[in-house]
Amino acid sequence: MEWLRILLSRWNAFLHPKRLDEDLDDELQSHIDFAVEENLGHGMTEREARKAALVKFGGVTQVREIYRRRRGFPSVDTFLQDMRLAQRQIWRSPGFAIVAILTLALGIGANTAVFTLTHALLLSSLPVAAPNQLVRLAVALDSNDEDDRNAPLSLPMIQSIQQRSHSFSGILGWCVYDFVLREGGSMHGIHGAMVTGNAFEVLGVHPAAGRLLVSADDQPGGGLNGWAGVISYRAWMEKYHADPTVVGRHITVTDRAVTIVGVAPEGFEGALVAEHPDIYLPTEFDGSLNGEASLHSGGHLWLTTLARLKRETSRAQAAAEMDSIFPAVKDQTLTPAILALAEVKKSRLLVTPGRTGWSSLRLEYTRPLLLLQLLVAAVLVICCLNLSGLLLARASARRKEFALRGALGAGRPRLMRQLFVESLMLALPGALLGIALAWFAGPWILHSLGSRQAEVSLSSRPDLAVLCVTAMCALVCTVVFGVAPAWTAGHTNAEDALRSTPGNSAAGYAGARRFFIPFQVALSLTLVVVAGLLGATVMRLRTESCGYRVENVLFYITDFNRVPQKGAALVSLYRRFVTRMEELPGVEDASVAEIPPLLHWDDSNNFVAAENARNTQPSSAYENSIAAHYFSAVGTAILAGRDLRNQDADLHSCLVNQSAARLYFPHHPALGETLREFLHDFEAGTNTFKDCQIVGVVQDSKYNTLHESPRPIVYLPISKDTSRLGGLFFVIHARSLAAARAAYLTALHEVAPDSPETEPFTFTQQFSDSIAREQLLSALSGFFALLALLLSGIGIYGLVAWNVTRRTTEIGLRMALGATRVAVFLLIMRQIATLLLIGLLAGGLTSFFVARSIRGFLFEVPAENPAIFAFAATLLALIGLVAALPPARRAVTIDPIEALRSE
Amino acid sequence: MGDTKPDVLQGTLDLMVLKTLESLGPMHGYGIARRIEQMSDDTLSLNQGTIYPALLRLQQRKWITAEWGTSENNRRAKFYTLSRLGKKQVEKEVESWERVAATMARFLAPSH
Repeated sequence: MEWLRILLSRWNAFLHPKRLDEDLDDELQSHIDFAVEENLGHGMTEREARKAALVKFGGVTQVREIYRRRRGFPSVDTFLQDMRLAQRQIWRSPGFAIVAILTLALGIGANTAVFTLTHALLLSSLPVAAPNQLVRLAVALDSNDEDDRNAPLSLPMIQSIQQRSHSFSGILGWCVYDFVLREGGSMHGIHGAMVTGNAFEVLGVHPAAGRLLVSADDQPGGGLNGWAGVISYRAWMEKYHADPTVVGRHITVTDRAVTIVGVAPEGFEGALVAEHPDIYLPTEFDGSLNGEASLHSGGHLWLTTLARLKRETSRAQAAAEMDSIFPAVKDQTLTPAILALAEVKKSRLLVTPGRTGWSSLRLEYTRPLLLLQLLVAAVLVICCLNLSGLLLARASARRKEFALRGALGAGRPRLMRQLFVESLMLALPGALLGIALAWFAGPWILHSLGSRQAEVSLSSRPDLAVLCVTAMCALVCTVVFGVAPAWTAGHTNAEDALRSTPGNSAAGYAGARRFFIPFQVALSLTLVVVAGLLGATVMRLRTESCGYRVENVLFYITDFNRVPQKGAALVSLYRRFVTRMEELPGVEDASVAEIPPLLHWDDSNNFVAAENARNTQPSSAYENSIAAHYFSAVGTAILAGRDLRNQDADLHSCLVNQSAARLYFPHHPALGETLREFLHDFEAGTNTFKDCQIVGVVQDSKYNTLHESPRPIVYLPISKDTSRLGGLFFVIHARSLAAARAAYLTALHEVAPDSPETEPFTFTQQFSDSIAREQLLSALSGFFALLALLLSGIGIYGLVAWNVTRRTTEIGLRMALGATRVAVFLLIMRQIATLLLIGLLAGGLTSFFVARSIRGFLFEVPAENPAIFAFAATLLALIGLVAALPPARRAVTIDPIEALRSE
Repeated sequence: MGDTKPDVLQGTLDLMVLKTLESLGPMHGYGIARRIEQMSDDTLSLNQGTIYPALLRLQQRKWITAEWGTSENNRRAKFYTLSRLGKKQVEKEVESWERVAATMARFLAPSH
């Protein structure tokens, strides 16, 4: 406690220095008076008495100094002094300060904005008990597709692992699901999750009200009182206004009576990052919705699985155990037909850290975010280098000041500290401005990533953790860009500096700055090359024909799960629906499709030309189920034959695209030929086939994403497989989007009044979302590259200008001795050209490796694209030379006589 | 000039101040300094000024408190008083000082 008392006392003294100073002076005065009085008593004269008293006392000033140093926080006092001095220095050249602060704000802001997203998606822990004990279990199928190497588990698998393993204290399964909530007369969609009964218990979360789900709720038909549901804290606040009586209330979720038993804690969004469920229901609810058979099918991989490690078990031990038991789990839960598949046979069960939960977005966005993070880090380094260069120049201009201060007794640490404080005074406003920038840029970047799901649920505003990182960032920046100037300032040689000429003692400054330029140029070149490659990629993606017309096309997912019609009757409902829409004003074409283009959904199957079925291996093609007018609605040209008709006569007709026609009928036209489709039932392990006749051939188009080259596609009528009619999409091409929307609503009320209204998405949106990642990366990297170019220009200009000033006398001497202007000009340019060349060579090498490592982001643009490399290098060289021109011109206009006179 | 007189060790000065206040009661800086000089028969080289940082040190630890008052000859002065914490500290320091002194004495005693 003693240190606390001292601290408090010092703090008090720090706050009232003036009063205490006066107090001390009074006290010392009274001391002297006592002494004088006593001395007078001994018979001294007034003068002698005073002199003796002062001698006896020792130095009054020293005592006062020692006293002051002990009293408050002297280091803080000098720090404040440094800050005042720094402030004066900064005010003296506001232009420099503004450039410095803005540069830093951009660098720090970009880093903060990107890190906010990285943190939200990849790094932040789930708000649960001991998140470090959580692991994620995933099935890694032996496949090239990243999704398949991170597949969820089936409920039987989870149960089987639970029985066999000893590593976990609990395993939970989790899946988000969109339900329909019926309240009073209205119906609307609600985002929810189906979770195993033990999920909340394993996560270790506590309810905000009522109770959470327990295993007893997760039984066929629900618990004792039927289905139990837990609502999110957000829903409780927004929908029920925190009404505590909501617990026990009955609601209707997707036509089933559910009792709300409790409210999840505030801020809890479940085990899946970037999801925001508003209602949690047990997994058995899925059995009620989609059938017990599907729920208990071992091959139905739908549950994201987290497990809590027992205290004494490590993740490696758990992984080893999973390796040993997974074959048995597979044998127990999968049918022989599925087991026989190669990708299943070689599959493994992965045990990965689960602290941060899981999001499928991670598969897609981890690499772009990391790339962005690297880009912004490079930008920050460039900012620091540049600032360091500028500060060095200023430090060299202030050499005399440092020398003078040194001569007057300022120690080297004190001088260095002064410069660090100045750097800090630039870094702090820079950081604050950067945070403000990130505050606005974050949501924009998130929006531009093109994932609606992520946009809704990821936090794009910096939180405390992020702000700490930003503060660290600013601090590191200060040290990085402050160290060189501070070092040189601390090593100023007083004698040299005080002599009037800016002579050779400044070489230290020059050496450091010379080193910065190639470094900066190399980094800038890398950024420009990356920007160039990504820009070229976006250009290709935008301009290459995708085989569609995307304007004025609207897609609506249908929700016909609860209409009474099934099978063929449902097909005719779809047909009535589109026919009705086509009658309405403004609608050009309306149709149905199972899979809207560019949605990153796919369905493929094996086909073979029926005539060659005996001697040819079937090969895979994408497939899609459509109705009439699909091709006119999405603008894909029919090259030969005719469209499908909305008639049962076309039940065995199909269309193929050019690639499929070439693949299956390489030697003669495909029109009129018969295609055989193989249907493999994985559960039963049986093979069947269906034949269909090709009635038309359509233009090639992209199916999954814009990033693929056109692949074979077979289009079949929706009537072909009546078991999959639940969630098809309406495709409406109209004169305007408003007309399309109006037509959909009219038809819905007339044809299927009991079905809920769904949200549409436009084809244009889908198109740009499909390349949003690339567009964002290219836009940001372009911006950063521009910034880097600008900073390099400033840096080079600064160096050359400073060099010319420093060498004025030398140049004057050379000219006096007969050097021509051209020679002087070349002298100046040669130095900068050498630095540029070193930078470009180093940068070229770096860019080469960086470009190769971002190959995954490129589309039909080779990573070693020589044109882009050459362009970037030329651009940088040009900027460097242009930036060096004005000071070089100043050098050739130096008047030798003037220059020599100043010596 | 201080060659012949030993300097005051830090810590010992603190103890001297505390002990002075203990035996004389509230006292101003000059009085404390004079008392220390007298007690040491002027064998210590004490700049009277050094008493003030010591007094501050003791105040910061809350071992003594200070208050402005009037001396017997009607002069305004700052009077220092030993606090309860200070009294305990004196006991502790005296004890440890005696231990050190005894140890030193044993070392310095002529060996047999």
